This record gives sequence, structure tokens and C-alpha cells, in this order.
Amino acid sequence: MPSEQRLHPLSFLFGIGAHLRGFALPILVLLVTTGRSGLGWQIWFLWLAIPYAVVAVGRTLSYRYRYDEHELVIRTGFLFRNERHVPYARIQSVDGVQNIVHRLLDVVEVKVQTAGGKEPEAALSVLPLAAFEEMRRLVSARRPAAAPSDAAVPADATEATATTDRARILLALSPRELLLYGFVEGRGMVVIGAMLGVAWEFGFADPPIPWFVDRFVTDEDQPRKPGDGVFRFLARAIFKGGNDLLGNVVIGLATLFVFLIVVRLLSMAWAAVRLYGFTLTREGDDLRTAYGLLTRVEATIPLRRIQSLSLHEGPLHRLVGRVSARVDTAGSQPGQNAPPDRLWLAPLVAASELPALSRQVLPTLSLGDFVWQRVHPRAGRRITKALLILIGLAQLPLAVGVGWWGLLSLGILVPWASLHGRRSASAMAFAITDDLVAYRSGWLWRRTSIAPFARVQAVTLRESPFDRRHAMAGVSVDTAGASTDPRERIAIRYLVRSIAEQLHRQLAHEAARRTFRWR
Amino acid sequence: MESPQPLKPPSVADGVEHSLDSRSIDVNRISGAVFFGILLLIAFAGAVVAAIAASGPVWARLLLPFAAVPLLGVAFAWFVYRWPLVEHRHISYRLDEDGIAIRRGVFWRHAIDVPRNRVQHTDVSQGPVERNFGLGTLVIFTAGTEHARVTLGGLDHGVALRVRDHLLATGRDDAV
Repeated sequence: MPSEQRLHPLSFLFGIGAHLRGFALPILVLLVTTGRSGLGWQIWFLWLAIPYAVVAVGRTLSYRYRYDEHELVIRTGFLFRNERHVPYARIQSVDGVQNIVHRLLDVVEVKVQTAGGKEPEAALSVLPLAAFEEMRRLVSARRPAAAPSDAAVPADATEATATTDRARILLALSPRELLLYGFVEGRGMVVIGAMLGVAWEFGFADPPIPWFVDRFVTDEDQPRKPGDGVFRFLARAIFKGGNDLLGNVVIGLATLFVFLIVVRLLSMAWAAVRLYGFTLTREGDDLRTAYGLLTRVEATIPLRRIQSLSLHEGPLHRLVGRVSARVDTAGSQPGQNAPPDRLWLAPLVAASELPALSRQVLPTLSLGDFVWQRVHPRAGRRITKALLILIGLAQLPLAVGVGWWGLLSLGILVPWASLHGRRSASAMAFAITDDLVAYRSGWLWRRTSIAPFARVQAVTLRESPFDRRHAMAGVSVDTAGASTDPRERIAIRYLVRSIAEQLHRQLAHEAARRTFRWR
Repeated sequence: MESPQPLKPPSVADGVEHSLDSRSIDVNRISGAVFFGILLLIAFAGAVVAAIAASGPVWARLLLPFAAVPLLGVAFAWFVYRWPLVEHRHISYRLDEDGIAIRRGVFWRHAIDVPRNRVQHTDVSQGPVERNFGLGTLVIFTAGTEHARVTLGGLDHGVALRVRDHLLATGRDDAV
């Protein structure tokens, strides 16, 4: 029997750390409050953390794993013992996450994922780096080779298996590209939100609060001073006709502009740190991504597990000629904020390099050859009509509350609804090739989802009463690991009814002809 | 479990739209009656409490529990009696070599096609009322997200078992 291995000796620290994270806020509150009023009875609440610490130490000491011939065996527990067998063939990926403390200690948090369930099959927290590399190597070596008949397995899969050791870099994002990514994605508000959160937790926000309260909350003896804030100042300047209207408007716009720039800059910094050194490599039948400056993430995407590909481009993406690409798999992703089951193929890739990259995932895909079929010619009018009804309902209370001049905003909203209806309807289109189906939508933020027939789980034809009135119908395609966001699914609406019926029939038949494989 | 009935391929996988078993109408009426019965009891209790608490002439206070609630009951009864009939007209299923297709919905209609070789596993379950009527519910599990679980209730229990056997007997290697 192969010898058993244990976790890294310092694992219990991370175990305690993980439990203490739940206590972080209460403890901080404790420290802050005791700092002001002296050590009080509250400190005794800290004893509550001790059972967690004992559990963490016990778990660390009892955790053992070994590599059997066909499976990974994990044993845990002293009192309640558990032995888990995970066959190598079922393992989808062995992923590692290293935050900054992990990196200082040369250890890594490992997650072993299989297809079933949302939780990782095994979470080994933490392993020495060498043990992680060994696990990866052993698991991928002992996993049986892919079935060659699968549509999603690239044609050169067998060649690639022969040269497993030679990894090919498919995409490496330079710092410049990362900054560009941060710029076009505009995630600066996330950073601001995080900073506010941190400031709040550590009490940095405490001094401004009394200041803020003093300024804006009125006392009985102190008359209120309206219009101290930038926006209120601006609003007052516009509506009350201040002494220097134009000057104030310019100052207000400049402030807004600077704010937007700061948000973009923060977003760029965020991207540079989070996705630092992003590389996508092809190793045999697996794609591997690695990124992160502080928290280092290494994730594996087995090609056989990829269910669909989705592309996303906003107006800024188009301006710089870039696209971002994700894949859906049946597993899940390490890392905190990212939605599960969605994996980066490329946060940002030049539009010209996209065809080559996407062929790695779906070998028969040639984006340029798609024959896009539009939706019903009256789709735009329906979208506009629905929007107008919504706008009307939203404007009603405004009109009652502010008076009829509140309806002035209709002057902008109505043309917008008409434009949005027309443009978004003309952006919607689907395409069918010999072995896959694609759907695109959105005119400002364009999304394209592509799924091979072999990955289609169910096909649905939908008709609402409104659809029937216009002789329209929708067709949606269900795949494993699909996003919960309906805009990122293949859910085609507003089709001409006869086309929808034909598409539904064709998709169901094509899917039935092909065997679905997890592996 | 009873011994499997001899499988006659044309009997299930015939590619023809089938309605559900007509006994399912009564099953739905019974479960609808139970649901709305409980709802009515709650409404009645609330009306009685309101009548006791309210002030005014006695006949006016009795109006709510003994006129409004029974009126509501009549409306419910009509709905519970009629609706399963309407629903039954709008549900059908079709089985062929490709798989199963289920159509349903009175106002918002949808037709789901699940290919046979995408079926991960299936259940045939029976509630107490269904058992009494000899009906069963077929539950099909796929690897999908939105339609990870597709149910078809109101089948004759024997038919449900045969449909299940047809869906599972692909003979092709498509296991996880």
C-alpha cells in the first residue's frame, strides 16, 4: 500500500484562520469598543472561538491522503472517521489558490474537483507546493485518455497526449494588456466598495462620521446649511439660479469627469493585481490558467469538460479591438468573487487572435463563417412597446409627485426606447453549423454564446400569449454548467414561429444523434 | 417491484402525441381541492376574527364570514373543477427514438425535448392520491442547468415505468 501523506504542518493555522474570519468583525468591534471603555465583560466572548480552534487542529492532524492505483484516498477524523475514494478518472481538475500568506510559507490550498455537485470533492488546506505539483502530475498521468470521438475534443488531442509534457502557451497577458483590461471592464467601483468596507471595519471611517454628522444633520439651535455637497451645490445652481451658474456647472462636470477617471484608474490597478501574469497554457488535453499577484490562482480546464463558450464585448472593447472570452464547464472555479462554473479563457484577447484561440476549445468553430439569421422583423417594435409601458408606469408617480413637468424626461426616454428596441432586435441573431449552435445579442454590450450539439442537454420551444399574437416563439438550449444570467445563455427570443419550430426540431434531433460525454 | 411488462416498442416510442391519463384530471382536482380548502379555512377563520372584532350591526358583521367567504368558495370550486380539464387539454408527450418531448402550458406554453442519451437517471414516484388512482410521476434528470429535472406527472403507473425503460435502454455508452 502506498504511504500516506499529511497536510503541511502549519495547516492548522489556516484552519483557525478560516474560522476566525467569521469572527473578524465581532472581534474588531470588541477591540474598538474596549479601546474606548476599557476591557469589559465582552472579552469573554473570545472563548467562543476556542472550540473552532480545537476542531481546526484536530482536522489538520487527522487529515491523510494517499495515491492508490486508480483512486485518491482521503481519510479524515479521529472520532468520526471518514474515508473518501475519488477515482482519478472522475477528477476534473486539481486547482490551487495561494494568497499572500500561503506564498510566504510556500504552501498552497488545493481543491480537487469532480463533475458532481457544487462543492469540491476534496479541499486540502494546505499542502506544500511540491506536494501540489506531485498531485497534479500523478492525477493527470493516471487519468485515462480521452475518447477521441467527442466533438469538443480537438482533432490533435491524440498528438497532444503523446507530448503531454510540452506545454504550449496560448495566451499571456502583458501588464499593458492588463491595464487595458482594467480600463475597458471598469471595475473601479468594486475597489472603492472594498476600500470603504476595509475603512469601515478598521474604524478609519470613524473620524469622518462625526464630522459628516455635524455638517449635515441639523441640531435645533443650528440652522440647516443646504447645498454643501458637490451635487447638491450643482443642483441648487441649476434649479435656483445661483450667482455663477455656468461656473458651477463647469466645476460640477469637471468633478464628475475626475471621479470617472479615478474609478477607471482604480479598475486598472485592480486588474493588474488580480490578473497579474495571466497565462493560458495548453497541456495535453487540459487548459491551464494561472494568475494573481497577491492571491495566486492556478486552475485547470479539461478540454473535454468544456460545455460552451461565451464571448463578451462592450463599447470600449470594440474601440480597442478586444474581446473577452469565458467557458462554462461542469466544475467550479477557485477564487472568491467569481461566479461558479465560469472560467476565464481570456479576460482580454485581440479580436484578430480570437479565432485561433477559440479553435483550441471548439476545433470546428470558425466565427467568420457563421451565417447569422435574424429574429422576427417586428421584434424591435415589441421590445420598444414593452419598454414604453415600463417607462409609463415609472413616470406615473413622478408626474403625480412633481407635477406635469416631471414628464419632460420622456423627451429622452421615448427616443431611447425606440432606439434600443430597434438596435437590440437587429443585434439578435442565431447561427447553426454542422455541429454547433450560436446566439448573439446586445448592441452596446454584445454577447455571443456557442455550444456544440454534443453538449446540448435539452431544447425548449417557448411561447407567451404575446408571442402567439405576433406569430413568434423562442427557442432555448440548456447546457451543463450554464450561467444563471439569462443574457449569457442560448435563449433565443422573438423568432418567426415557423423558424423557431424548425430550429427546435433540428436542435433536438442533432443533440440526440450525438453522445454526450462528461469526460 | 412487479415483473417488467413485455416491452412492445410501437406502444411507447411511437412518435405520436399522447395526452396524460384522464384519471390525472381527478387527481389534480383533489389536490386543488385540498389546497384551496385549506386556503378557505384560513380565510374563514380570519373573517370570523374580523367579525368578532368589528363593530356595527350583527347582520353586517356576519356578512364577511357567511357571505363573502362562501362566495369565494364557489369561485374556487368552479376553478378547481374546470382548470384541470383545461390544463389536461394542453399537456402532451411524445416519445420516439430520439427521446421524449413534453408540451405544456395554457397561456405560457413550452415544449421541452430531452434527447434519450442525455438522460442521467430517472425516477418514477407516486404520491398517496396518485397511488390510489394507479398513476405515477416520471422525473427525468439531465446534466443541464435550467432543466436539470424534468417532471411529467399524471401517467398511468405502468406507462410511466415503460417510458422510463425506453429512456434508459439506450445501449450506448454515455455514462458519466
